[in-house]
Amino acid sequence: MRSAPLTSTEGLARVTLELHHEVTMFLYEEAEALDNGRFRAWLDLLTEDIAYRMPIRVTAAHTLADSLLDGADHFHEDRYSLEKRVHRFETDHAWTEDPPSRTRRFVSNVRAWTAADGDDVIVKSYLLLFRSRGDVREPDWVSAERTDVLRRAGTRFQIARRLIAVDESVLRTQNLAVFL
Amino acid sequence: MNLESIVKAVNDGMIPPAIYSDEEIFRLERERIFGRSWMYLAHESEIPEPGDYVVRRIVEDSFIVVRDEHGEVRVLANVCLHRGMQVCRAELGNASHFRCPYHAWTYKNTGELVGLPFHEDAFGGDANLSRKEMALMPAPRLAIHRGLIFASLDENAPPLEEHMGGFDYFLDFYVNQSEAGVEVRGPQRWIVDANWKIGAENFSGDSYHTPHTHASVVEIGLFREPKANKRKEGALYFAGGGGGTSYKLPERDFAANLAYVGYPPEMIERMRARWTTAQRALISDGPFMVSAATLVPNLSLVHNWPVVNAEGQVVPFISIRLWQPISATRTEVISWFAVDKLAPAWFKELSYKSYLMCFGSSGMFEQDDVENFTSLTAVAKGQFAQRILLNGRMGLARDGSFLHEPIADWPGPGRAFTGYGEYNQREVLRRWGEWMLDTGGSGSNGSAR
Repeated sequence: MRSAPLTSTEGLARVTLELHHEVTMFLYEEAEALDNGRFRAWLDLLTEDIAYRMPIRVTAAHTLADSLLDGADHFHEDRYSLEKRVHRFETDHAWTEDPPSRTRRFVSNVRAWTAADGDDVIVKSYLLLFRSRGDVREPDWVSAERTDVLRRAGTRFQIARRLIAVDESVLRTQNLAVFL
Repeated sequence: MNLESIVKAVNDGMIPPAIYSDEEIFRLERERIFGRSWMYLAHESEIPEPGDYVVRRIVEDSFIVVRDEHGEVRVLANVCLHRGMQVCRAELGNASHFRCPYHAWTYKNTGELVGLPFHEDAFGGDANLSRKEMALMPAPRLAIHRGLIFASLDENAPPLEEHMGGFDYFLDFYVNQSEAGVEVRGPQRWIVDANWKIGAENFSGDSYHTPHTHASVVEIGLFREPKANKRKEGALYFAGGGGGTSYKLPERDFAANLAYVGYPPEMIERMRARWTTAQRALISDGPFMVSAATLVPNLSLVHNWPVVNAEGQVVPFISIRLWQPISATRTEVISWFAVDKLAPAWFKELSYKSYLMCFGSSGMFEQDDVENFTSLTAVAKGQFAQRILLNGRMGLARDGSFLHEPIADWPGPGRAFTGYGEYNQREVLRRWGEWMLDTGGSGSNGSAR
């Protein structure tokens, strides 16, 4: 069993209050775009070389350190595959999200550091996704910590790397037709 | 309806919705199917080294699937013989011993009990409780086929080969592409509010759903095959304990067809060497390429070949999956990616991407499948809905004869048809009915002792 690499923040300087506010608002606005089904706008928040990963969590003995698998994922996406996923939601035949889920992404515990090698900002945040479908089903929850690398693109940020460390080893949502 | 009339209706292709929602029926399935049949647990490549283990279930029963210190694969009940505590609470790892957290009874990875605190004082030593005679309970039967580890809770179960029958011819296309076999990644695990049989039936033969349920993946250019007119040209086969779907191939040439679905020349040559003349004939003369399949009761496979990158490269993937029942209306889906061990590194990576885009927890095919499976299950709970008999008679005339003849020169074992028809789903449910009506009185298959 190998453990998925998490971006290290050891020895890095925390960002200024102003920058902290900027990246927090960025994450809130990203959540707003996703919760409102504006997937094209969400894609625009990602770099061309985006690496978007959600490794599988397992229940491992002794430690949490080995509990994210390396090379076994729920998502292991690049720009091409994310574009396909968004394009699919734009067709009239993506049944699993027609009618769409009502989602609410709660983003909290935001911490941010300046990357060692330049302007990038490393951001860790907690995410709690609430997903409601139809009328008779219990809602689904997905809890995770995200580690993002945000890159300056002119006057704004884009996400260059995202690692989603999900807390459940067995997901209690019927599929990942949602972005985290 | 009593069980006999339910099975009779099912065998006529008219399905009482209760089989997808009734907890009493599930209680019987648990005993008569999951308590008897061969259950897939793990793949050998998940536990390559001595001490490697994964923990898997057969319905509620937890088992440690471990490669012991001598290299032998064992399936041991995850139950301390003292008070029933789980001796292993991790999902995977490497261990020489499993120590119960309750009173520290300790078992080697062979299952032997080697540690029993205060043995003399508490139990009167070996004279009164012999450690040598105590071991974690092994599954009554264990069999490994092409690296796939199966167990049966029924010591009188027929051999796995007998259960599988001619289906092994087809299984080879997924897990026997070279002498090295496959390695797996995963599994992804998630829970869906659906009866376990729906997925098993769907994968066994539902080519009819593909053009509509999966219309979106054709529209976005991810997979070029499932257009309605093309899908019905594929063969639906059933042999022994399993059946599946396939797609019609464009050439009458073994290598050209495997290249068409994205295999590189070195892999094609290994397949040519590995497969029998009859197996190669499916691809060269059929010519058909296997896609989804099910080995009863609840193991399914997938093989598709999507466009994996912006350059338009087509790369196939293989997935193994288990429909692990939790109740009549809930199922844990356990889905592995599989790839030939000798495949080049670039192929393994792109094939993995193909898998994640198409199947598994985030897969774009799977997303829409599960919407159908959960909706069908929810409807099947209704008392009024239960007055309906669902129509599973596709491919049959009113008098029960086939609308189309089976393929005459089918190169493989079993029976196959082209065109749309629910031949395989009926076959899966016919076997379900056989198990359900077998009360275990006299047959060799019986276990309800």
